[in-house]
Amino acid sequence: MKKVSIYRPTTVDEAMQILSEHGTSASVYAGGTDLLVRLKNRLEQAPSYLVDIKKIDHLRYIKEDAQGGVEIGAATKIAELADSKLLQEKYPMLVEAVNKISSPELRNASTLGGDLLQEVWCQYLRGGYSCWRNGGYICYGAIGDNSYYHSAMGGRLCYAVYPGDAATALIPFDARAKLATPQGEKELSIEHLVPGDMMVDGKIQSHVVRFNEILTSVVIPPPKPGLRASFEKLRPRGVWDFAMASLAISLQLRDKTIDDARVVFGGISGKPYRETVVESFLKGKTLSDELGEQAVAVALANAAPLKYNATKIDMAKGLLASGLARLNA
Amino acid sequence: MQNIQALLLEPVGCLAEFPSGPFHEIAVRLFGRKGKASPSASRTYWHLLNLMQTAPKFDAEQKCVAEALEADAVAGANLYEDVRPVLRELQSMGVQLWIATSLSRAAAMCFVERNSLGEFFAGISTRDDAGGVKSAPLLHALSDGSLEKPHSPESTMFLTDTFEGIKVARAARVHPILMMNDPDEAQRLATHNPAGGVVSLHEIPDFIRLVAAQNQRG
Repeated sequence: MKKVSIYRPTTVDEAMQILSEHGTSASVYAGGTDLLVRLKNRLEQAPSYLVDIKKIDHLRYIKEDAQGGVEIGAATKIAELADSKLLQEKYPMLVEAVNKISSPELRNASTLGGDLLQEVWCQYLRGGYSCWRNGGYICYGAIGDNSYYHSAMGGRLCYAVYPGDAATALIPFDARAKLATPQGEKELSIEHLVPGDMMVDGKIQSHVVRFNEILTSVVIPPPKPGLRASFEKLRPRGVWDFAMASLAISLQLRDKTIDDARVVFGGISGKPYRETVVESFLKGKTLSDELGEQAVAVALANAAPLKYNATKIDMAKGLLASGLARLNA
Repeated sequence: MQNIQALLLEPVGCLAEFPSGPFHEIAVRLFGRKGKASPSASRTYWHLLNLMQTAPKFDAEQKCVAEALEADAVAGANLYEDVRPVLRELQSMGVQLWIATSLSRAAAMCFVERNSLGEFFAGISTRDDAGGVKSAPLLHALSDGSLEKPHSPESTMFLTDTFEGIKVARAARVHPILMMNDPDEAQRLATHNPAGGVVSLHEIPDFIRLVAAQNQRG
């Protein structure tokens, strides 16, 4: 494993200062289930300085806010989200989703912030190939085996899919992320936090967090009355794996009429893919047995599968039909 | 990689889908080749260039035959749909665009005019200008007095979709960038260590921006 130095700051300001000093050769370290694997795999892009944020107070909590929403500290363990009665009561779909993240052992270590900002799990990157994210200028996934972990919705240099489940499940609730930055606190939607392949600080990454910024918490607005939501995930292995396709869907219902909808696919694109065409289609419709088939007909029209992954689009459409059926049950 | 300031483009395979038939016909009629044309125009074209490179110069009649068949190839070429917006974006980024091709001057000019691409290119180097094929047009483009602002080969890219193209770029010391039009072929070509690879032309502006951002980061 690459030699690293570890800092253990006790405040967010101290952590940001260390990150600023070391530039892109430093990285925030919390659960380590992504970062340590990158180090073990000796990736070119793995950092030399780890800024361990576990000693910082106030980054690990789940609490109800004054508006009736919930704020979750970025260093909160995924297992703690899965066990949270508060989340189960307010956002059962989110709990369902986090229970499908990796394995119980990994959920005990990994954090919400880490899940949101994790590096892609393309086998070429993780295998040390010199790709766009690892010091090179080519995407091997676009021309090699792209059946599992690559985009079926096009790409921007890198064709790996965004692997996180938490972001996919948080977007239907209009959740927002809070970042500590040297210029002060910044707040943005989860959609804007992980917009897909971005050039940030001279690197390709899935999120917009700069080298000297820290994700501190996620805020979920209070659940609206009449909101129904569902999360489903298809993966190569049922026990634990990343999504080949997943769907987080929420419907704002008045009786059976859909007033508003959020449809977000995971595992098929370089970002959690919000399918606004289907959302618009669903608005004003009556939830019925036939609606799934109709929604599937308009879904993912701009799919651009690679050689081996067209099946992801079929899976995603299947999830849309089953998700709507579930919400109609 | 240094910041990229110039892009050399070979129309065959990088800007348009050409028919392979006319290139094969030149090989048959002027070099006595037999067999069927490859479905890949790029492969047929680069195979023809290998033949041209080792043969004596065309006489007037042969030149006439070659140019007529190349005119057929240009007439049958379909410009890739992302070419014009990408060239416009690259131009706005200050990247100097130059056609460096082993086609005849007549064919290259016809291609540019037919597809209304003249506004994008600072110049055109052909086999007639360079007095040779393959790397000769690239070297001609890079030579003093050709590029408006002569750039070093290290700050120049050459797009190609063949192994021959990669070799030619190396010979001219410019960065060979693989156009990964066909994944299977691209997988094979990636083993020859091109400097980079793009799935489509529209990724080139981001490629150049990323290199600049990396250099700025240091």
